[in-house]
Formats: sequence, C-alpha cells, structure tokens
Amino acid sequence: MKRVKIVLSALLIIFNSVFATGCWNYREVDQFTIVAGVAVDKGEHSKYRITVEVAQITGGREAKTNSKLISMEGDTIFDAVRNEISLAGKRLYWSHAKVLIISKEIASEGIANIIDWYNRDAETRGDVHILVSMEETARQIFEASSQIEDIKSFELDNIIKNQVSLSKTPIIEIWDFSNLLSRKNLGAITPTVSIYKKNIVDCPLVYGTAIFKNGKMIGTIDGEETKSLLFVLNQIKGGVLINDEKQDEMLVTLEIFKSKTKIVPVVNGDNVEINITIKTITGIDEFNGNGNCLDEELIRRLEQKLEIALKNRIIKLVKKIQSDYEVDIFGFGAKIHEDMPKEWSKLEDSWEEEFKDLKINVNTKFNIKNSATLSKTLNIGE
Amino acid sequence: MANNPVKLPVAPMIIYSKNADINLGDIMFNKNQKTKQEKTNSNKEKNEKTSNEVLKKSLEYNINLFSEIFANDETLIIRRFQNKVLKSAKCCVLYFDGMVKTEIINENIIKPILSNDLSMNILEENLLEELQYKVIVSNDVKTEINISRMNDAAIYGDTIFLLEGYEKALIINTKGWQTRTITEPESEKIIRGPREGFTESIMMNISMVRRKIKSTDLKFKFKDIGVRTRTKTCICYIEGIVAPNILTELERRLDEINIDGILDSGYIQELIRDAPFSPFETVGYSEKPDVIASKILEGRIAIIVDGSPVALTVPFILAEASQSSEDYYNNYIFGSFNRLLRTISAYFAISIPAVYLSIVTYHQEMLPTPLLLSISASRQGVPLPTALSMFIMLLIFDALREAGTRMPTAIGQAVNIVGTLVLGQAAVEAKLVSAPVVIVTALTGILTLMNISLIGASILSRFFLLLAASVLGIYGFFLGSFLIILHVLSIRSFGVPYLLNISKVKNHNGQDTWIRAPWWSMTLRPKIIGAKNLVRQAAPKNRRR
Repeated sequence: MKRVKIVLSALLIIFNSVFATGCWNYREVDQFTIVAGVAVDKGEHSKYRITVEVAQITGGREAKTNSKLISMEGDTIFDAVRNEISLAGKRLYWSHAKVLIISKEIASEGIANIIDWYNRDAETRGDVHILVSMEETARQIFEASSQIEDIKSFELDNIIKNQVSLSKTPIIEIWDFSNLLSRKNLGAITPTVSIYKKNIVDCPLVYGTAIFKNGKMIGTIDGEETKSLLFVLNQIKGGVLINDEKQDEMLVTLEIFKSKTKIVPVVNGDNVEINITIKTITGIDEFNGNGNCLDEELIRRLEQKLEIALKNRIIKLVKKIQSDYEVDIFGFGAKIHEDMPKEWSKLEDSWEEEFKDLKINVNTKFNIKNSATLSKTLNIGE
Repeated sequence: MANNPVKLPVAPMIIYSKNADINLGDIMFNKNQKTKQEKTNSNKEKNEKTSNEVLKKSLEYNINLFSEIFANDETLIIRRFQNKVLKSAKCCVLYFDGMVKTEIINENIIKPILSNDLSMNILEENLLEELQYKVIVSNDVKTEINISRMNDAAIYGDTIFLLEGYEKALIINTKGWQTRTITEPESEKIIRGPREGFTESIMMNISMVRRKIKSTDLKFKFKDIGVRTRTKTCICYIEGIVAPNILTELERRLDEINIDGILDSGYIQELIRDAPFSPFETVGYSEKPDVIASKILEGRIAIIVDGSPVALTVPFILAEASQSSEDYYNNYIFGSFNRLLRTISAYFAISIPAVYLSIVTYHQEMLPTPLLLSISASRQGVPLPTALSMFIMLLIFDALREAGTRMPTAIGQAVNIVGTLVLGQAAVEAKLVSAPVVIVTALTGILTLMNISLIGASILSRFFLLLAASVLGIYGFFLGSFLIILHVLSIRSFGVPYLLNISKVKNHNGQDTWIRAPWWSMTLRPKIIGAKNLVRQAAPKNRRR
C-alpha cells in the first residue's frame, strides 16, 4: 500500500509538471523572425502603427545580421502585432527584444495599454528598456543610422546599459516602469531618445528623462538634471562631475566611484520635511590648472565647492519638479509611507498638493579619494 | 562465433508451431520443455560414453578404448614401444598432435624407457609405479583410473601413458602450445605505469598476478565452466580481505552456469552479472595485471578465464568506470584533475546533445541574443529539423567509431578522411546540417570516448535523453535524467550499491571517486567491498616532512 502511494504521488508530480512547463512548442530558430526592438506610433488608418526592427540573418559562410523594419497597423497593440503575419508570414519572436520606443504623441495620451500588453503577453519579456522618442515618430529612431552595431535596437540597449558610467539617463526596464505606474502618488520616468543631427550621420541619442504622471507624459528634463535626479534616487553608480565655476582658477573633472543617498522624513512642527544625505566618493580624473593634487588644503576646498554645487543642483531640480510638473518622481511619499505611516495617512489624500510645498534639506558629503595615476598637474614646457 | 545451444532448437519450433497455428503461450511452453529435455539428453549421452568404461589389464584393449572414444579425431597420436631388455615393459603413449611439446615426450618418456636397461634396479611387480618414480623425467606425473579425467587431460595437452597389465594410467604433463607473448594492451594505454598485459594463457595470467602480490593469503580456485569447452576459470582473491558472502555468492553463480561454451570472459561477465537488462556494466574488467592486483587488494574478487586476455572483477561500482591505473601512479593532484575531468565528461557526454537540442528548439529565451543570432544564421536554409539532424549526426559518429574499431589499419586512413570530410565540411556546406550540430556531435563523441568502459551505457542513455528532449524540451531532459538516476540507484553488484561512494565525501568515502586522494591519506579500503578488513595502512605520523 505504501509503495502504491509512493508510485502514485510520483506519477502525479511527473504528469502535473508537464503542464507546468509553460510554452514548450518545438520550433526551429530559423522559423521565426527575431524582434530586436519595437516602436509604437499613431497609425494613419487605425489607432496604432507598430514598427518592429527585426534581425535579418543571412546564413552561410559569411553570416551577416542586418536590421529590417516592418510596420503594421491595428486598433490595439496585439491586433497590430498579429497583423504582421499577413505582411511577412513568419511569427514574430519577442523574447530577445531589447527596446520599446514610444512616440511623444502616444506617450502624452497614455501608455497603460501598451505596458499592459507587454507585461501580459507570454512571449514578451519584462527586461526590455522603455524609451520615449523626442522626434515626431518613434519609427524615425530606427530609421537613423547606427554607429557600431548593425541593429539599432541592440545599440540602444548598449547605450542604456552602459549609462552606469555616465548617469545622464535613467535605466528603466518595463517591469520597473509598470511598478512605478501602479503606485499611487508616484510619478514614473523613462529615458528619452532623439536623433543627434550634428554628427556626420544622424544617429540616435539617448539623453534625458521623460516624466509621467498617471500614465501620461507631462514633460522632460535634460541629462544634467537627470544626473541630479539619479542622485536623489540613489541610482548613481558612476559618471562625471565637473567643477566648472567660472571664477575658479582650475577646471577639475571628477569620476564618481560610489554614491549613497539616504532619504529621511522628519516631522518639524506641523509639517513633514525630507532630509536628503548624499555621500559620494570620487577621484580626480582631469585637472586643468596649477596645483598639487596631494595638497590636502586644495582637496578640502574642492570638496566643499562640489558639495555646495551638488546641493544647489538638487534643490533646483526638486523646485522645478515641484512647481512645473507637480508629480513626486523622487518617491518621497513612499518613503514617508514606510517610515512614518501615521503621518502618511494624513498626507495621503492630498499628497499632490503637499508635494508642491514639501520642504527638503539637502546635505552633501564629498570625498575625493585619489587623483588617478598622476599627483601633480602636467606642466607643459618645463 | 558459436551459437548458444539453448536457442538452437527454438527456431524450428516456431516455424512448426506457426504452421500448426498454436498460440504464443503454447510456443513458450513447448520451447521451455524442449530445451530442458535437450539439455538432459546431451548430459546423459556424454556420461554414457565415458563413465561406464574402465581400463582393463590388456594394453590393446585400452588402446582400442581410447581409439573408439576419439574416433574420427585424427590428431590423436598413439605410439607403442617396448623396453629392449625388460619385455614386460610394453608401453604406449597417447597425446594430441599440436597440444604437446614433442621434445618432452621424446626425451623424457620414450627415450628413458627405450634405451635404459630396465631390468636393473626395477621391481617388476609394481612396474608402473617404478617407471613413474625412477624412469620418466617429468615434473608432473599423476596416476589416474578415471577415464573421463584422462580424456580431459589429454585434450588439454597432457600425455596418457599406458602399460601392459595395469588398469590405470599415468598422466604426464606435456602441455606445450604457442601463446601470444606479453604485450601492452591496446585498449588500456598508459604513459606511466606497468605496461604488461594479460595474454590468452591462463597460467601466464595467474603468474602475472602472483608476481604482484606475494602473499600466502592470495588464493586461486579453479573451475571448469562450459559443458563442451570445459574452460578453465580461476577465482582469485585474498583471504582475510575478501567479503566471504560475496565469495560464496560468486561461486554459487559460477556453479549455476550451464552453457556449452565459454570463449571469452565476456560470456561469464554476462552470465553472473546483476541487473541483466541494464546497459550499465555491473562486472568490472581489465587487461592489466596491476589493475587486477589493485582490485584484489581492495577486497574484490578477480575471475581469470582461459583463452581471454580480459580478467573480470566483482563487485563493481560506477566509480570504478572512471578510474585509470595512471591516476595512482602520477602525482595525486594531477591524478585528481584527470579523474575529475573524466567523471564530469561522463555526465556531459550523455547530456550535451539533449540540452543543446532542448534549448535551441524549445527554450530560445535561454540563449544569449548574440548566440541566438549566430545559431539562427547557421540554420538558414537547412532543411532537416535540428532533432533529426542531431540523431543522424550522432549515428554517423557511432558508425565511424564502429568502423574504426573493426577495419584493418591499412584502410583506416580512407575512412578517416571520408568521415571528417563528410561529417565536418561537406554536410555543413551542403546545408544538410547546421554547424553547431556538428560541433556538438564532435564534442559529445570525444567526451564519450574519455570513459571507454562506460561507452555502451553512455551511448544508450544519450539517445534516450535526446529522444526525451526532442519531445518535451528541457523538461524531458530532466525527466529522462531522473529516470536514469533512479535506474542506476536501483542497481546492486553482488549486494554492493552501484553508486557507492559517489554522493558522500564524509570520512574516507569519497577519497577515490571524484578525486584521487594522496596515498598517505587513503588509509581505509572501500566500505562494504573490503568490509572484513578495512584498514589498508596505519595512518602515517610523519607524512609531512
């Protein structure tokens, strides 16, 4: 009897797990079209026009990959995606898509349904990067030339991934974004992409941040402001800071090694205030002027200047967001909710109003760790 | 090769019963009955022919008797001779041509009797014994009255010596036939370590083992197996280390063998093994006396079979399959590295094609994008599905391997060139298969050949997993792997768990499985196998000098 039980339960597990394997159709890799990226525009005849950049693979001894654009229209996103079959025949394969570009127009009208489809569909993946096109259409981004990769979507993917050492645009994957959208009283952000026309060839440029409120885009901030935003969000992993005050005798560029931001809400009388403490470890990487980098006096002076500059930048950004966009993209509300739930219950319903007048105190601490491989400035002609 | 006699009567039976329209149950029943009858018949026939006869006093009668027994066997030589002085010394030697050393018969038997004056110092009353003690020059002479034993001895190269007036005969050891010299075994090449290998002669093989272990506890027990071949088989073990119950079990299984012929140790290997339907071997084998000696020293029992250069060892556990004698002769770190490489490659050899197939055809999400693109590029324009091309390529590889083992060396090169070109280049260029499939096939082939003693099991389990993966993807692969693991877990070899020492590293369990521990730390013999006397060496105190 015991043996029968064991055998039966083993069979139960084995046969049940057949149904738990998800999609498991046998399909050959050459039978589907690999989507590298997708752009969503307003359609001319229908509601949406979807443009997919697909990898066009030529086999044989000199295998080559190129990209090709396929556009199709439909009243919903999925309708448009499936309409592709009547254009190209092969099913689209979404698991390796890297970017989702949304046109300005669609973004300001609301993108909840796009995000819903992308999260709901079984083949699409949550780790795709979401971008807002600053050009007229999103398709234009794919039509521009690429610099290194053959496929523009992969290049955009690299651009966003390597922002860790630039910090001029946030790194947002679609599951991040839908998390942000689903939170009450919280704004969402995505990187913005435009076409850089000052180069010899026009190529995509990812720079700055689009700000969403209730699933609709309401504005953008530029790359330097994005850096300040990332400082507040504690998402700085690298990047460059310039001590560029005009009256200063030296121009110093620093590389950020590590930065840690702490946001602490405090009650001051009747109001809740936000204390932001930022500790940043940097190193001198470019030094223009006279001076010895080992001089402690100089280092301390430099640190102080940087602290004040960063503090001013952050206050400026928060003021701008508070007055222009009136949306909490910093997550202050969530922090108050976590740390002092009682206070939050009072603020929750009128948070939009409260956020506008929220007082913040910024405290910055810089530490210049080293001056890379040189200690002194290079004196030309000596 | 010789047909199995048990099966012989089956074929006509089936044809007959088909005509008579008998159902399957009847066929099975009849088959069993018939074979049983046949077996008893053949035994009876043999007994009748030999055991009822006895020697009589007349020399001529006895010679006639042997001529009748060996009628139509013209290799039997009968040589009569008589001493010139002592007329009563009428003798005869019987032997088989080609099995004996003629010089021994000439110089040591016939010549002393012919040319000596036997009337001197010889008691005529007991002439046979006198001849045995005083005249015949031989190291091994026995008196024998049993005719069937005389026959056996003569067949095996001894000489029967008959004397007028005696009902018994002398059996004189005159064995002498050509054997292969000791060479390095082709199947177990090594760089460092003893190079001698077993030959087809059992006594030579036994002497090689004896030379390695000079202990009075080393025991050799002989058995004749095979109703017709009467193949000499030797069980070899060390008393005091061997587990007595394993020994009795082995002897019981050997005694149960009732087959007409044993032409190689492989017959015995299959007849005494556990898990008879499994592709995993449960009896170990080696062609090298040093390997056999090391197994005997760990408490295993060796079976040396006459006519086979391959000796068997029991019990056998899976860990032994990836052990090489060289591991023990090299530096233990290098030995462990090689051992680890071999054990891991055994797992990869059966799983790589299945994993590749399931990821490429079911779970493309798991591939990195650049890899997906390059695999996709290689698949462009290839008509065969990946699963089918994988099966075909693996079969072609196995065909090449089989052809390579079987073919004469002279045409080896031709097969190699055709094989490489057809497999590697032409197939890809003609777009019959994709390049990654060829790479996976080649890798699998190399990894399979790393554990040569597991080759049968790994080829079968590889195809099993590939089949499972082609139907159910990575889930099928895991399901198949579990089934294989469960099967292997269920195997016992002479009561010893087949996966002994594979999963545990505690104490001394894992010292000789995934790695080869240094000799100074291998103070214990493997558990269960050497359970009677576990301590191999006293733990040395001054090993870190």
